[in-house]
Amino acid sequence: MSYLLPHLHSGWAVDQAILAEEERLVLIRFGHDWDETCMQMDEVLASVAETLKNFAVIYLVDITEVPDFNTMYELYDPSTIMFFFRNKHIMIDLGTGNNNKINWAMKDKQEFIDIVETVYRGARKGRGLVIAPKDYSTKYRY
Amino acid sequence: MGSRMELIIFLVSAVISAGLSNRIVKESIPTFPNPMLSCIMLWACGYSAATLNDSFLADLDELSDNEDDLLEADNDDAEHMEEDIDGDLADIEALNYDDLDSVSKLQKTQRFTDIMQKVEDALENGSENSTHGIVLEDDPEYQLIVDCNALSVDIENEIVIIHNFIRDKYRLKFPELESLVHHPIDYARVVKQIANEMDLTLVDLEGFLPSAIIMVVSVTASTTSGKPLPEDVLQKTIDACDRALALDSAKKKVLDFVESRMGYIAPNLSAIVGSAVAAKIIGTAGGLSALAKMPACNVQLLGAKKKNLAGFSTATSQFRVGYLEQTEIFQSTPPSLRMRACRLLASKSTLAARVDSTRGDPTGKTGRTLRAEIHKKIEKWQEPPPAKQPKPLPVPDSEPRKKRGGRRLRKMKERYAITDMRKLANRMQFGIPEESSLGDGLGEGYGMLGQAGSGKLRVSVGQSRLAAKVAKKFKDRSYGTSGATSGLTSSLAFTPVQGIELSNPQANQFGGTQSTYFSETGTFSKIKRT
Repeated sequence: MSYLLPHLHSGWAVDQAILAEEERLVLIRFGHDWDETCMQMDEVLASVAETLKNFAVIYLVDITEVPDFNTMYELYDPSTIMFFFRNKHIMIDLGTGNNNKINWAMKDKQEFIDIVETVYRGARKGRGLVIAPKDYSTKYRY
Repeated sequence: MGSRMELIIFLVSAVISAGLSNRIVKESIPTFPNPMLSCIMLWACGYSAATLNDSFLADLDELSDNEDDLLEADNDDAEHMEEDIDGDLADIEALNYDDLDSVSKLQKTQRFTDIMQKVEDALENGSENSTHGIVLEDDPEYQLIVDCNALSVDIENEIVIIHNFIRDKYRLKFPELESLVHHPIDYARVVKQIANEMDLTLVDLEGFLPSAIIMVVSVTASTTSGKPLPEDVLQKTIDACDRALALDSAKKKVLDFVESRMGYIAPNLSAIVGSAVAAKIIGTAGGLSALAKMPACNVQLLGAKKKNLAGFSTATSQFRVGYLEQTEIFQSTPPSLRMRACRLLASKSTLAARVDSTRGDPTGKTGRTLRAEIHKKIEKWQEPPPAKQPKPLPVPDSEPRKKRGGRRLRKMKERYAITDMRKLANRMQFGIPEESSLGDGLGEGYGMLGQAGSGKLRVSVGQSRLAAKVAKKFKDRSYGTSGATSGLTSSLAFTPVQGIELSNPQANQFGGTQSTYFSETGTFSKIKRT
């Protein structure tokens, strides 16, 4: 479903997307369109993009095409989702130990919407770290 | 002889009263064994054997075949004149079912020949649209068209009658054919083609029937129980077929004529419903101006047949649809929308008829526009509803939370607020032990309550607002004591002086002379705060 979502093709475009958005959360999925995990994630992203459009905008970035952020954000997972609000990276405590990103494919739409809403709420209040409504420490692995 | 007659009558009436369907009655009669028939023939004295047999059949048909009766009743108007002339003989001839002329008379009537002559003349001359100026109703051609409409209906009925005649005759030869070929004209053509031939492979039915039906017919013919007809019966049957075909071609001619003139008489109406239906509607309404004056709901019913539904639902029976159901628009509409389409058609064709009656638009452009409109509307009805778009979620916390407050909330907070006493009891002073309910720090501690140096000499027990409210509530409900006398008081008092004395207990309510330990009149005492 990646074809339904806007892609960013350069580091500059990614920067602009994060900088230019004043009111909404910016979600960026780093990965490859052909990747299995990314495909699963994109399925969810595409289906919720319309629902979330009032407070979040979703972009896809190919980490091979745009390798500028790979070292900075440590992008080595097949699929990575990061949240930005007013040019600030919002961390999220998912219980997985990695608070910087969602680095697996979420398959439940409602869970994903809940996370995005929580991040937005926290970010609006100026928090740099929010706690996810659900703990993914075991769910994710087993 | 009498008993035989009774037997026959009994047989016939039993078959009918047993409520057998038309088909069974009809099929059971020819299968009577021949000896039995001959018995009847012997008994019959006045009539020839064949005639009687057929008259029985005719009677049966009349009794059992209501549809035909209705059609014949319709046809009565046309035949009425002739029957008067025939007089007494008419009754006898009506029974003579063997004779084709006695069942179908239409072709011999003056009316038929007149109209056909006029139609043929008109068709030969071609359309002469010279009558633009004059009023339409007075146009002789218009009158002819109205006549033609009536005639075409009559011809149709006549064909049905002849069809029945042919079936009755030909059933002996090929009983299954009538169930295989339903259409009267097709049936007549096939009968004429097959005639007495037993081997259907020798008969070429190509062009009369669809090839699939031809195959079914020839297969059925190879196993049929029918026998070849006698020469004279066959001749009559073939004559009847010829007559049906002739009537059919006459009807075609009449309809051709009417349709050819419809474009001139009612161009807009025929643009909507087609010239054939337009002709029928105008004919039934009794003229174009009558149609123009008719409301649309009546136009919808023009030509509607009275149907006997035998208790079934009217929902799908196309109950209230007249000639409009023959229109191309109606037929191409899915059944669920047909009633709506019919209403629409009726209203638009009324409009078109009004335009036509004033000769407002001889080109038929209005009609074509209306037709396009109808098509567009019907198509629109069939469109699926617009797809549901996902509704975006609202921005979280975008709206300030709703807070209920104001006077009401303040009052409630006051009512349940913590009291001064409770506040003191909850507080402790440094270095000073609190008093407790059981002493030595046991039991419930009193905190700063009652301690010297608390700064307050006396803690006033503020009247709780909750208590006030509850008290008010109880007072409103007047629990017992509000000014009423006690149940123990009596107006009878025993005194040593006068014996029995009547006194008013209400009088000394505030007195006190008679008061005992338990006040007789008192309510709960209220201590006023100073």
